[in-house]
Amino acid sequence: MDPTSRPAVVIDNGTGYTKMGFAGNVEPCFTLPTVVAVNESFLNQSRSSSKSNWLAQHSAGVMADLDYFIGDEALAKSRSSNIYNLSYPMRHGQVENWDAMERYWQQCIFNYLRCDPEDHYFLLTESPLTAPETREYRGEIMFETFNVPGLYIAVNSVLALAAGYTTSKCEMTGVVVDVGDGATHVVPVADGYVIGSSIKSIPIAGKDVTHFIQQLMRERGEKIPPEDSFEVARQVKEMHCYTCSDIVKEFNKHDKEPAKYIKQWRGIKPKTGAPYSCDVGYERFLGPEIFFNPEIYSSDFTTPLPVVIDKCIQSAPIDTRRALYKNIVLSGGSTMFKDFHRRLQRDLKKIVDTRVLASDARLDGEIKVRIFG
Amino acid sequence: MILLQSHSRFLLQTLLNRLQNLEKGVELDHHWVEFDDVRYHIQVSTKNPHLLLLSVSLPTPPPETNFVGGLPFGAIEAIKAAYGVVVQILDPPRDGFNLTLKLNFSKLPPDEEYKHAILVKIASVREVVLGAPLRVILKNLALRRVAPNMDQLVAIVHRSNESLFLFPQAEKVTVMFPMRFKDSVDTTLATSFLQEFVDARRTAGLNNAPPCLWSPSPPLELNEAPTEALSANAGFVSFVIFPRHVEGKKLDRAVWNLSTFHAYVSYHVKCSEGFMHTRMRRRVESLIQALDRAKPESKESKKTATSKSFKGKVCVSDPF
Repeated sequence: MDPTSRPAVVIDNGTGYTKMGFAGNVEPCFTLPTVVAVNESFLNQSRSSSKSNWLAQHSAGVMADLDYFIGDEALAKSRSSNIYNLSYPMRHGQVENWDAMERYWQQCIFNYLRCDPEDHYFLLTESPLTAPETREYRGEIMFETFNVPGLYIAVNSVLALAAGYTTSKCEMTGVVVDVGDGATHVVPVADGYVIGSSIKSIPIAGKDVTHFIQQLMRERGEKIPPEDSFEVARQVKEMHCYTCSDIVKEFNKHDKEPAKYIKQWRGIKPKTGAPYSCDVGYERFLGPEIFFNPEIYSSDFTTPLPVVIDKCIQSAPIDTRRALYKNIVLSGGSTMFKDFHRRLQRDLKKIVDTRVLASDARLDGEIKVRIFG
Repeated sequence: MILLQSHSRFLLQTLLNRLQNLEKGVELDHHWVEFDDVRYHIQVSTKNPHLLLLSVSLPTPPPETNFVGGLPFGAIEAIKAAYGVVVQILDPPRDGFNLTLKLNFSKLPPDEEYKHAILVKIASVREVVLGAPLRVILKNLALRRVAPNMDQLVAIVHRSNESLFLFPQAEKVTVMFPMRFKDSVDTTLATSFLQEFVDARRTAGLNNAPPCLWSPSPPLELNEAPTEALSANAGFVSFVIFPRHVEGKKLDRAVWNLSTFHAYVSYHVKCSEGFMHTRMRRRVESLIQALDRAKPESKESKKTATSKSFKGKVCVSDPF
């Protein structure tokens, strides 16, 4: 039987999470953190000690090669024993560690999806800024190690646009605002083709939101065990954060009714096992706010996301701009904050309206001058 | 992970998830494929959230195997014995599938541990159905007898259009696998892997493991088998199973490990390839380092990080 009769395997490796499953379903089979825990204790041994029992060490090394875990299991393993080292194969939306990535795919295919890679076509995703060499390398691993019969590497932003593709509405033009865990891109797409020269990237992404929340909680003096604080911040971000319409108003709201707005976080200290709790306050709306007011987080980059989107569309070819403004698609985990889209739409509308007014006024002026001059 | 687990991870996850959110009544319609062409389809409608339909399709059986009504012999009994009242077999099965099971969540036992065990068992439906004939024969072996009215040589499907062969006797059962691989590199790797595998059996720690043999030509027991079933490009592996290997609880694992032996080998071939790639990458990196060190220092290095990695990649793509 040929692979066309079977559903294709889709693996979307993000910096934070990997989504994988089979084509034709509404949701992925698994969503796992993109992390590998490798047992490196064997590898260091085999180099330093004597050569006499070389064979035993060699086979131990080979065994160590299979002794690794991915995803949630990896996180659990590294917490319970210290012979496993965590490595994150992706950084800023790019594959950084190919060894770890290859192992990650191996586990995805054989342990999670449990499919034979020779039987299925594969669809992988990459960020729009990936170098062709990286893409080639990815293909090489897929074909040479896994012997896949066919492979397509799609740009994730184009796929995000295609997700809204229905038989009644087949629009492949739009701006994709992709805010992931490790990278934020604003990608204009016209008729399914990425306008490469107009892609804008922002050095602020989901991970920065987590860092900011961690920083805020630390500065306020919440008693969180330091080795756990990043993980707590991440979960606070995923469970409690939302976008506000105006920071000052939101501060007032919190101060007036702390009982309603301040949440409690409960956890267990990993070392001693003692339970602890801490408050979750302003960081609930200040976290996502770094996209709209980046100056509160970093001094290097201060352009708000709506301005970047506007600049991106303005740099695109003039005949596509109207369609691009019409269709702005949010994708990526960090756009899932409550009311994120509303805030973005409002801010963007404000910018565009101001420009239209200004140009109207200027044109009006010119026309008057022509008439009277 | 060295051995493949017998339950489908996704199926177990879905079942457990379902059990926790029974009241919500979310619709579910999912299909997926596992190795050796086993397809699953799972469906829950909002009307009856307690009922779950699980359809399984099996690999196409080669002509020499014994299939009854689209299922391997003994499968229906095995399903009934394994699941009891929780599961009902629907006849006819869903279009395009060999078996449809109706799972009733309200009939699950209240005891948490037992409930979990049953769900794990349901998630290993493939072991129950495809392993049924093997199970029957090995069970008879544990009782030291040969199942009545059975052929001298039994063929059991384990991959699409491929079968493994059993030669049952009262004191031992010989299990034979013709090993086939598509890719030439895979074939070579598999051949040497299997030879190492046989060698490893001889080490002191594995005295009690079933004896195993590898040969490039079909073993004598397979004389009666049809010739087209004997074309194997990676040789033949045979295991001799004694009653002590299938006593009591060992039976389940023996059935699973034997019926997925091909998948096990193919998984390890892929792992070896990955391991070799890792070694090649490491070697290229060390060579590049040596090259960089050898360069005269007067030459100002103007390389950026990207051009460096580009260089690395070109070298790696060169097959050594």
